[in-house]
Amino acid sequence: MATDETLPWDREYALGGPDELSEREQAAVEACLRALADDEFVLAERYTEWQVRGPTLESDLAVANIAQDELGHARLWYDLLEDFGYTESELIWERPLGDFRHATLVERPFERGDWADAIVRGFLYDEFEHLRLDALTETEYPRIADRVGKVQGEEHYHREHARNWLERLATGAVDGDPANGHRRVQEALDRLFPHALTLFAPTVYEPDIVELGVRPTPLSELREAWLDAVVPELEALGFTVPVAPDAHPEAVDTLLPAERGRDGSHTDAWPDLYDELTFTYRQLDRREAPRLMADPDDADGDGGAPR
Amino acid sequence: MIFEVFRQETETDYHTHVGNVHAPDAEMARMFAQVAHARRKPANSLWVVPKAEISEVDADDPGVAMGGTTQKEYRWATNYSTGRMAEEIEASEAEQAEAESRRRRPSAAGDDGGDD
Repeated sequence: MATDETLPWDREYALGGPDELSEREQAAVEACLRALADDEFVLAERYTEWQVRGPTLESDLAVANIAQDELGHARLWYDLLEDFGYTESELIWERPLGDFRHATLVERPFERGDWADAIVRGFLYDEFEHLRLDALTETEYPRIADRVGKVQGEEHYHREHARNWLERLATGAVDGDPANGHRRVQEALDRLFPHALTLFAPTVYEPDIVELGVRPTPLSELREAWLDAVVPELEALGFTVPVAPDAHPEAVDTLLPAERGRDGSHTDAWPDLYDELTFTYRQLDRREAPRLMADPDDADGDGGAPR
Repeated sequence: MIFEVFRQETETDYHTHVGNVHAPDAEMARMFAQVAHARRKPANSLWVVPKAEISEVDADDPGVAMGGTTQKEYRWATNYSTGRMAEEIEASEAEQAEAESRRRRPSAAGDDGGDD
């Protein structure tokens, strides 16, 4: 089949397999993977709070389905960290709180019963995730390159879901009271926008991640692209965003919250969530995590058992 | 609004009614239908139809007599594939198929063929 697109297995890579990396290379790959895996894992944990509590049965199923997708993606990325000898317990269940590298956006609790909060969060996150995955299609690390396409395949639905809901909440097309939906989105936006900026907070490994080509596009460029996409869209729906799309990077930085997530500092919501998600593991006095599914490398086509 | 959902498993299957979804409009309905009705079953295509747009004729509706009220069995195609004649045709067809396969067998010797 003739195609202009270069497939992951037809490319040359500057970096080798997991056993062939130098110390510096491995550190950069790990840092990139930890942000990826932790973001997806913690966001999925938050989303599952909506299970059986969504506004309708259908929206409930949709958000639970998205949570499952994100857990699946987290699994793909954690699995690449296991290449370096870490166990699942070390990566998740017995990992110290402050070692997690997810952005603070994904750990914030939902405003009680506020569906707009879930939608705004999804919108801000999925636009970022879209750009990050796009950038990772050019990675020089073959193990990441192999998996990006699979994850991208599911992200389209997530973006469509967030955008469709956002439009309807903005115009009151859902509950018939335009003021109500609009106000809730604006409030969620005010709360979450600074935390969304932590998605782009660089780690100390950022220069290496870019230079070695683990993710050739720097986070600063991803943030510009994100602001370019997100701000005009929100403004077109009549929302106020605390920053202009072309704002000076330093002006954008002033909006950042004190905790950045990526450096291991987290908001007060994280210890509670961490306690909750590791509760069963501790209660059952586990030392290792049971395996329910085949390793992603051994699974056929679309990753093993049906969901 | 209620939208009825019809799922087609593969390209060559008919769309079959599998349930419905509640959604404010068609776009949201298509989005919900994918998760509610195609997440755990194979799907090549989904039809998502506003319930109100479905016209129905019920056998109990006044004035309705589907197929008529008088004897019209001769209209039923099934009447033409039963009885002695049909059995003879069937038997003859089987004989021809048998003869055909016998003609082919010598040349096909050694050929593993498909197991389908």
